[in-house]
Amino acid sequence: MSASAQFAPSRDALAAERVAGWTGEYAPLPGIPDEFLGADGRRRPHWDRLLGALAGLDAQEVEQRFAAADRRIRSRGMAYRVPGEAAERVWPLGRMPLLIPEAEWRDIARGVAQRAELLERVLADVYGEGSLIAEGALPAAALAGSPDFLPGMRGVAPPGKRWLRLYAADIGRGPDGRWWVLGDRAQAPSGSGYALENRLVVSQAFPDIYREMNVERLAPFFRELRAGLKSSGERAEPRIGILTPGPLSPTYFEQAYLARYLGLLLVEGDDLTMREGRVFVRTIAGLKRADVLWRHVDADWCDPLELNPNSRIGVPGLFDAIRAGGVAIENMPGAGLVESRALLAFLPKLARRLLGEDLIMPNIATWWCGQPQERERVLGALDSICVAGAFRDRLPGFGERRGAAPSELAPAERARLVDAIARRGVDYVGQDVARFSTTPRWVDGKLAPRPFILRVFAAATPDGWRVMPGGFCRIADKADARVVSMGEGVESADVWVLSDRPVEAASLLPAPQDVRIVRLLGNLPSRAADNLFWFGRYLERAEATLRLIRCLCARAVDPDAPMSGARQSIEGLKAMLVSWGAIKPEASARTSAQVGGAALRDPENYGSAFCIARSAHGAASIIRERLTQQSWQLVGRLESCLTEAPGRAMGEPEIIDRADEALTVIAALSGLFDENFNRGAGWIFYEVGRRAERAVATCRLARHFAREDATAHNLDVMLDLIDSQITYRSRYLTGVALAPVRDMALLDPFNPRSVAFQVNLIDDSIAGLPVLRQDGIVEEPRRLSTQLRAELATQSAKKIRDAEILAVEQRLTALAEAIAARYFLQGAHHARAEKVAGLG
Amino acid sequence: MIFDVSHVTRYRYGAPVAANAGVLRLLPRTGDGQSVAHAQVEVRPQPASLVERADAFGNRTLHMRIETPHSELVVTSTSRVRVERAAPPMPALTPPWEDVAAQAAASSLLAAQSPAMAIYPSRLVEIFEPATRYALQSFGGRRPIYEAASELNARMKADFAYDAKATEVTTTPAAAFAKRRGVCQDFAHVMIAALRGIGLPALYVSGYIRTVPPPGKARLAGSDASHAWVSLWCGAGFEWLGLDPTNAIPEGDDHVVVARGRDYADASPMEGVILSSGGHELEVEVDVAPVLAR
Repeated sequence: MSASAQFAPSRDALAAERVAGWTGEYAPLPGIPDEFLGADGRRRPHWDRLLGALAGLDAQEVEQRFAAADRRIRSRGMAYRVPGEAAERVWPLGRMPLLIPEAEWRDIARGVAQRAELLERVLADVYGEGSLIAEGALPAAALAGSPDFLPGMRGVAPPGKRWLRLYAADIGRGPDGRWWVLGDRAQAPSGSGYALENRLVVSQAFPDIYREMNVERLAPFFRELRAGLKSSGERAEPRIGILTPGPLSPTYFEQAYLARYLGLLLVEGDDLTMREGRVFVRTIAGLKRADVLWRHVDADWCDPLELNPNSRIGVPGLFDAIRAGGVAIENMPGAGLVESRALLAFLPKLARRLLGEDLIMPNIATWWCGQPQERERVLGALDSICVAGAFRDRLPGFGERRGAAPSELAPAERARLVDAIARRGVDYVGQDVARFSTTPRWVDGKLAPRPFILRVFAAATPDGWRVMPGGFCRIADKADARVVSMGEGVESADVWVLSDRPVEAASLLPAPQDVRIVRLLGNLPSRAADNLFWFGRYLERAEATLRLIRCLCARAVDPDAPMSGARQSIEGLKAMLVSWGAIKPEASARTSAQVGGAALRDPENYGSAFCIARSAHGAASIIRERLTQQSWQLVGRLESCLTEAPGRAMGEPEIIDRADEALTVIAALSGLFDENFNRGAGWIFYEVGRRAERAVATCRLARHFAREDATAHNLDVMLDLIDSQITYRSRYLTGVALAPVRDMALLDPFNPRSVAFQVNLIDDSIAGLPVLRQDGIVEEPRRLSTQLRAELATQSAKKIRDAEILAVEQRLTALAEAIAARYFLQGAHHARAEKVAGLG
Repeated sequence: MIFDVSHVTRYRYGAPVAANAGVLRLLPRTGDGQSVAHAQVEVRPQPASLVERADAFGNRTLHMRIETPHSELVVTSTSRVRVERAAPPMPALTPPWEDVAAQAAASSLLAAQSPAMAIYPSRLVEIFEPATRYALQSFGGRRPIYEAASELNARMKADFAYDAKATEVTTTPAAAFAKRRGVCQDFAHVMIAALRGIGLPALYVSGYIRTVPPPGKARLAGSDASHAWVSLWCGAGFEWLGLDPTNAIPEGDDHVVVARGRDYADASPMEGVILSSGGHELEVEVDVAPVLAR
């Protein structure tokens, strides 16, 4: 030991000092239990372990690891959407996990599993024999008010044999220290995928602490959930899909993530069609049966023929397929019924009746005002309770308000509420005021107590209910919050269930003997094919536009520019930008810098590089589960590097820099796709999209800059635009001439920029796609590509006429249309039959 | 009365339609003083499937699926219906409306005829305060329900103008109420909202009404229309009683009931989803012809 070290405080003392720094000012709210400090004011031992381990790292390292976690969230694209907002928000993950010791967790898990079973039986009875209602255990009106009571599902046997596959309970710790159920989630509970993502980020940031703390793993739960979904199918290897409302759904990220994690097909309503009581996925190889759908679409939107006629995200006839037993939908439409607050008032009694047990975990005390005695009780206790809607989020008659503590209402409002309850008590419940316990949240380098809600998930599996050891926790940013939803300021937190023993590492990987070797996943859904194709086209279109912009600005600053030939080609480039929609026609008289700036980033011009990048982003968002995180990130980068351009006008050199940066991003994306994208059908559509777009664009450029009467300047521009200057100079020592330039642009099968090269690739690619009939007759897209290929191969650069270039361009367009007609969703954009008017 | 009803709906599409899936509610109901001698629906082009099923409200629905490309869809419904309804009850004998509301909230019935299904807001009928206040003017304390409801039925006719141009299929009851005008669908929706606003169970009825030609004029075939009115649950023993606010009359022997539901969305004669890019034109012809007793 060195002399100086003797005077330094010990490592333990330093750590204790740092823990004291984090927690010195930590003061739980009066009368409210806290997860960190017990009722006696002493720290709970498991929190001591966590903070001790954190303090064992040096201060800088803790910060670095938190920063690494933040980066991972961004790079994984973890996001959610606030309804009504166009852009997704970055996922707010708190730094401190919620800690729950195993002994306490066992009670929670038992309570949640019991409740899941109870609700399953309630649903089976309500939609089945109806004894609860007929015998007076549950008033019919306490169900009928729920928008999710679906009369059309009465008497229908769920094809998956059950109403609930995944159930979630929102729970909180009450003032008495017990856990209470605040609400039930049965429609399409969200949050399980976010919980999984949270875990991934936190466990990677602090792998050693995570291990030392013996945190229960989440993967086994998802394995069993998948087994549960699989057990609903009629066939041994059922095709299982996640039915998503699409990229505009607030939790689309989660749906795409779960699909990828569990190896399920992500489908939208348009991907599916009902035929003779069964549901099929539209794929490029024709219709393929969908056996099980994990529903993330609210029931009301699932079938426009049966329920909401305005739904564009459902499958017409889906409910008929359910009645015919042809498809298992999980959770069953109608299961959302048990989310009603009105039902909370009856569950304690129903538990005794249906299970012969008391509720292990109580729910918040609730009185449904549709019953005379309960109504009187609520009206008599208005100062000590909360009033909320019996069936809906909003408090009926009070606009956007979600609930009210009558004691806090103005006298007139309070009188109105009393009136409304007296007149239509069926719409209201009274509830004990929920006070949430608090848990430490990291605020400005210290820990502070903040209220939280924990969502716990239970899955029905072949071996009974399984509860995810962990959950989805939301922590408020204000100390006094009574309602915590995933809005402004709320953080999510990983939930650690702490085992007393070391935990076995687990992942979703199956046992080795169960794995069947598969090289290609067939049956690409038509919608995915469509969007991959367009993603390829947009990417290529962005590249071509950026090259035009760069060429324009480079030539404008060229000292030769004033010469008439050069000026003419500059005008030509502007005209091309106009015809591609990158700038408005009246803008073409402006300076090159103004034109280049507008073509680069003007959101009003549909053909500007920015708008095309946005379209590429849109197409990519629909196939997000098929892209690597890095590709997805680059797609976002392409858009942002164009929007980040400064608000002021830019000069030519700056525009060239921007365009170069964007071209670099596209090159990186192309490289990633080339190196990483599996060469299955998905790749083919991306590839064919890019090639078709490049071939069409090259024809258009050739018709302008390599016309029969093209000047040397224009031919030079042509070589620039197809990036073939170097090859040309090495092949032809003389200056630029029409026939060689045309050969390079159109016919040379060795130049990766020529039209012939693109057509050859398209023809080869289409040959790898599935055919509908094995009758040996070539399908239309292949027929067109092969024909065009042969013609280009036999064409001569010296003889080709301008009109023939136009004809090639038109045939390429026809080829793209034939591909769309054969492989993509046709007319799946429903037009609605108008309602019969002319009523008397 | 015995009626021969024919109801022809013709869609002409701007672009060929590849597939057409729909639900038809065009077969009249049996019961409540109405019996159906025969009824059939014919669809052109020939559907790939046409399956009859009773819906949750006991209506006869046809689930139709056409898979051949077509530019015109013609649905023809023909039926012979005998109507002999019981006379409405003596208003004073019906229970106080507050008791009916309490009975509905306590109902232990979840079947098609349950009043519990009819007291809540539904897809097209929200409850709104002005309609509730409008109802309360007739529903004084402990007033017999049918007496108060008949008065409301008559006030609707007096206070609202029949105006086919004022509203559209998508007009909300609140908007129609504010304008004090509309067609039978609006009258029915407004009255349903008013009744539900005070906790009473009310349903939407779609069907036909015989129109009587002006004196001296002949009845014109095809000039009748589909019609809509209201059914109110008046308590155990009285059950569902029909009221037609467009005409300020009770449901009687000139009414033919086709379908009932919480609102138009549950009871509309025809709705569907088509695969097409073009628009379409629609033509409806209804004829309700009395059959002379021989």
